[in-house]
Amino acid sequence: MNNQTTYTENALVRSLKERNNEAFTYLYENYKNALYTVVIQVIPESESAVDVLQEAFITIWKNIEKYDHSKGRLFTWMVKVVRNIAINHRRSKYFQQGQKNDSLDLYVSYIENSASDNGIPINLIGLRKQVHALKKEHMQVLELGYFNGLTQEEISKVLDIPLGTVKTRIRNAIIELRKNFS
Amino acid sequence: MGLCTSEEKAELESLRVQYPELEKAITEYEVSFEQNLMNTAETIPASVDIALKKGLSELVQPAGRIYDIQANYKKRNKLIYAVAAASLVLLCCSLFYNYKLYQLQQNTGALLTKSRTLETLPPGDYKILNDPSITPIAMYGVGSHAICRCTMFWDKRTGKVYIILHHLPFSSDSKDYQLWAYVNGKAVSVGIVKDEIRGRFIEMQNIPADAISFSITLENAGGALTPTESEAYLRGKI
Repeated sequence: MNNQTTYTENALVRSLKERNNEAFTYLYENYKNALYTVVIQVIPESESAVDVLQEAFITIWKNIEKYDHSKGRLFTWMVKVVRNIAINHRRSKYFQQGQKNDSLDLYVSYIENSASDNGIPINLIGLRKQVHALKKEHMQVLELGYFNGLTQEEISKVLDIPLGTVKTRIRNAIIELRKNFS
Repeated sequence: MGLCTSEEKAELESLRVQYPELEKAITEYEVSFEQNLMNTAETIPASVDIALKKGLSELVQPAGRIYDIQANYKKRNKLIYAVAAASLVLLCCSLFYNYKLYQLQQNTGALLTKSRTLETLPPGDYKILNDPSITPIAMYGVGSHAICRCTMFWDKRTGKVYIILHHLPFSSDSKDYQLWAYVNGKAVSVGIVKDEIRGRFIEMQNIPADAISFSITLENAGGALTPTESEAYLRGKI
């Protein structure tokens, strides 16, 4: 795949909807690293990354008509697609291994081990590393909600806190995260 | 970031239309989120990159071929005129040769006609597509077989399923595709898929009534007692 053309976001979306393969090449080459990072933050095993990313790019290509720019940027939409596929892939893997994928007990011990006072685990990268740099209560809700795909109700049960507290912590976590982006 | 409920999301979508300042704040956040992810991204390993390009090249190729045809259209017009002029000159000299070719084509055409009947759906099969009580299930390719596709039409009244293969490599003599239904997390074998049948429905029966998902795996000839998940080609769910 050779990329000799650059695109603005609007031109890229338009070209992708016209099924322009040069645009798809640009999309892949420009975003492959970022989307790969999203995948390995959800599924650390790199051998699964090929399956997940391939399914994600195919989904993006085949569903580009469903992308609505009035609801957000293209990159945000693609990250959602990739993240959802990665989370489903991981749940499917646990399901096949006979683990109960609806057991929240797994996440209780997981988050307890994640919430270490020994600093940020050195194997974390990118956004996940930044999330683990947040206050513990903020890190927990983003770790469970964003990287593990739990709903607000499920987070409430895992952390044994009211649903309203979950919503407040998510809001404050995003505000704190955004300050770090700036 | 996928952290809000569907109600919250709907409310936000409604508010961002009404309040430009909210729209601006959301866009600014998305831009900073994107920049942050792009700046802190890990470099994709070469092995993953190569595997992905190989897997995705077949996806993009049909679009590429369309552009190739369009790009060459003008050239082909001139080519047709040149070929027509050359054919007039050569016609007298090549009549006997063309007659021999025609005979060969007739023989080949007979064989093609016999196989072509398998490529069109028999009229009786169309009633399956139009029956509203039959549940269609899209099956998607798994992993490196992402290009594979088939559709199943499940008649829960009879327990039969009708499978049409859109894209699936033919199995070898030593292998068979096997259909599995998943009930309460356990795989139940439905049977061997006769993948030599193309262009019409493959009928299978005894689908468990409470199955919620399906897979097609490639097993040793005769089938297996449990599915070999690493050889899953297609998966789908209701």
